[in-house]
Amino acid sequence: MSEFAGLGANLGMSTGMIPITAPPETPKLPPREWVKANLFSSPFNSVLTVVASIIILAITRGLMSFIFNPQRQWDATATNLRLLMTQAYPEEQYLRIWIATAVVFTLTGLSLAVWRAGSAVPLSDVGRRLLTFGGTIALLVLLAPFSVRATIIWLVVAVAVAGGGEALRRLVDDERTMSTLGILLIGLSGLVGSLWVIPYGNHTFQLHRTPRVLAEPGTVALTTKLPWTVMLLVAVAAYFLGIFIRERLPTNAPRITLLLLWLLMPPTLLYLVLRDPSFDMGHVLGTDIPIFLVYAVLGGALLNWLARPSTGEIGRIVAALVLVAAFAAFLTPMRMIVRLDMLVLAAFALAAPTFSGGPRARKNYVIGWLGFLGIMSWLVTAINTPSTVKVPGQFFIGGLSLTLIVAVFTIVISFPLGLALALARTSNMPIFRLLATWFIEFVRGVPMITILIFFSIMVPLFLPPGMHLGEVAAVIIGYSLFSAAYLAENVRGGLQSVTRGQHEAAEAVGMTTSQKTVFIVLPQALRISIPPLVGHCIGVFKETSLLAIIGLFDVLFIARSVMPNQTEFMGSTKENVLFVSLIYWIFCYQMSKASQRLERRTGLGER
Amino acid sequence: MTDAAAAEPADDQGQTRDLSNARDMIVCEEVSKWYGDFRALDKISTTIKEQEVVVVLGPSGSGKSTWIRCINRLEIHQEGRIVVDDVELTNDLRNIEQVRSEVGMVFQQFNLFPHLKVIDNVSLAPIWVRKKPRAEAEEQAMAQLERVGIPEQAHKYPGQLSGGQQQRVAIARALAMEPKIMLFDEVTSALDPEMVKEVLDIMKTLALSGMTMMVVTHEMGFAKEVADRIIFMEEGQIVEQGTPTHFFENPTEDRTKLFLSQIL
Repeated sequence: MSEFAGLGANLGMSTGMIPITAPPETPKLPPREWVKANLFSSPFNSVLTVVASIIILAITRGLMSFIFNPQRQWDATATNLRLLMTQAYPEEQYLRIWIATAVVFTLTGLSLAVWRAGSAVPLSDVGRRLLTFGGTIALLVLLAPFSVRATIIWLVVAVAVAGGGEALRRLVDDERTMSTLGILLIGLSGLVGSLWVIPYGNHTFQLHRTPRVLAEPGTVALTTKLPWTVMLLVAVAAYFLGIFIRERLPTNAPRITLLLLWLLMPPTLLYLVLRDPSFDMGHVLGTDIPIFLVYAVLGGALLNWLARPSTGEIGRIVAALVLVAAFAAFLTPMRMIVRLDMLVLAAFALAAPTFSGGPRARKNYVIGWLGFLGIMSWLVTAINTPSTVKVPGQFFIGGLSLTLIVAVFTIVISFPLGLALALARTSNMPIFRLLATWFIEFVRGVPMITILIFFSIMVPLFLPPGMHLGEVAAVIIGYSLFSAAYLAENVRGGLQSVTRGQHEAAEAVGMTTSQKTVFIVLPQALRISIPPLVGHCIGVFKETSLLAIIGLFDVLFIARSVMPNQTEFMGSTKENVLFVSLIYWIFCYQMSKASQRLERRTGLGER
Repeated sequence: MTDAAAAEPADDQGQTRDLSNARDMIVCEEVSKWYGDFRALDKISTTIKEQEVVVVLGPSGSGKSTWIRCINRLEIHQEGRIVVDDVELTNDLRNIEQVRSEVGMVFQQFNLFPHLKVIDNVSLAPIWVRKKPRAEAEEQAMAQLERVGIPEQAHKYPGQLSGGQQQRVAIARALAMEPKIMLFDEVTSALDPEMVKEVLDIMKTLALSGMTMMVVTHEMGFAKEVADRIIFMEEGQIVEQGTPTHFFENPTEDRTKLFLSQIL
């Protein structure tokens, strides 16, 4: 209270003394007056506040008594965490999962450092948050049906948290700040540390219930505490490595490298975890590498010629011929990689005039082609190579891993596809417009389940003999097409919001249609489309739960159909589903937060 | 009769430059355009010489903007010929791209690219259309920003500038392409009165530097002071044209007199 009075006096003095009056600052109300002004300003408002509070308290109490009911079998989820995460992934190969996780954590740590994530918050703010947090714990404890002893223990914890917060708020001066990343690290350390203290299946708050002791798993990779500790250390080490890189290299090089690594990560990890192909070196040296070299040399030369500003119209005709040749290649029997390389070469050739320029621009363009070709060659070769990860049965990964794999791949694949569809639908070339419109309208008119069923059951029947497409791959392709149609409509909304004046300004300075699209229209359209696009990504992530219908074991299916049938945990559906929804929520909320950050960042300069 | 006025620009003016020996920069022959049944341009014929400053006046809806937009093919004319710097505007994309890179245009609504910083707004087209190295293009962009007097705003976004500053950036963006012709389409109409002058001053300097300019405007003072020739349009036709002195002091056509009596 006194500090507010002081602030007011200060303001009064300064306005009296300085002739140029600053705009009057809206004073921050002390809590009691804030409550009065906002919650009890009128009789109606007061009634509303009271009724709403009662409803919220009742719901919270209901939830607490559900969660802490002694009947609940929370050890079902605790015991089955591995099942929920990876389903039947072979135990002796589990190290692969941890390596994959470590790669993700390394990239995350590096990115946090290179993009200068996190900001400084005043310690007094942290104190205020802790105070609120302690208060919330106390309220929840009082609402929960705990035994007296448990209630007292938890109240002590709540008071300790709140007291710590209050102490921080009062004792530390306002200047001191703390990095949000530091707070995140403390939180994560706490979580990981708790793995060392509290064994799974032992719940301190169910004091009258005998804790179930879990069978200790055999190898270190199958435990949780040591691997997760290592993961945290990896992330921290990667962060400091990132700072090291950031301070010594120019800004853009590490960022571009990291973006590429992020894009390469999903396929690489998928192959590391699921296949780890054992390359037949004879075949690789005799067939795959020669094909790569032919395309690298001839394609590079062609693109170098096409990207000369002087090439002109003949270049465009040649590029169109390459496209025709690529389509023709699909009608004749030949290796898939030859056709795909041709198709990608045609795309590069068509785009070449846009990126044409001096020797340096041409060199960069050819390097881009070589990189893309190399990655694609490796991927296709890897797909056609038998796996070294031998497991019984056809499906051997499920749970959250499956959900994440399908969601990440679908989003990554459908994004460029949806963009292309949206551009085609708004283009003034009738064939493209017609094809895109038909595709979008057809796909949107069909339920997703039918597409999933079609791709998992029917497509293998249509494949040429000898070609095998894994069930998950088939599903990802179908789901990506489905998602691309919706994504295209979201992007189209953004495209339409780019004003005619922007098109005209770009045309008036002599840009070609593709330059206009890449530099002027798409950046603005995508920025406007961020909220619907992220909403779409959240939808894609959640709707992977439909995979259960075609017999894949996604995390929700395990929770509602597998775990409740285990003899130990008969009928634990409710608990499991609540737990799984928490997992979904954490991911979706993070995407939502990322969307808000992205909007703020790209909204820079908008008035 | 209108052609006669064009053929002999009043010679009694000391300030009027003699441009009769200069090259033809823009040639329009019987240019016509319809929007549905509405005839927006009706057989417009005129020639604009190199270094000439032409101001197009006329009431709203008279086809001034449509005409100026036809000259870099933001609008497509349906009859007649438009030849810009010896390149005829047809459906051939190469001609259109060539003309557009030679003709700079400034719009009423600025149309700056809001997602790019000022310096990138100015250097984008030189980099990608003229294929200049980035460093050189940015150096020239800074030079153009200095020319329009706002180099200190280079690293802001357009949304952070005032209307007058934005329009000056738009002029710098057009100039960065080193055009032979500049088109100005009511560039001061969306500006607050106190910002009009800063934009007009830049246009005057540009005119004095010998740029070929075609200006659609309602600023009579600017027209009087800067124009080599004034073209008055109504209902898609050129009604009268001549030097500022001729146009403002003894117009021959009744419609011109009516227009002048309404605005002066």
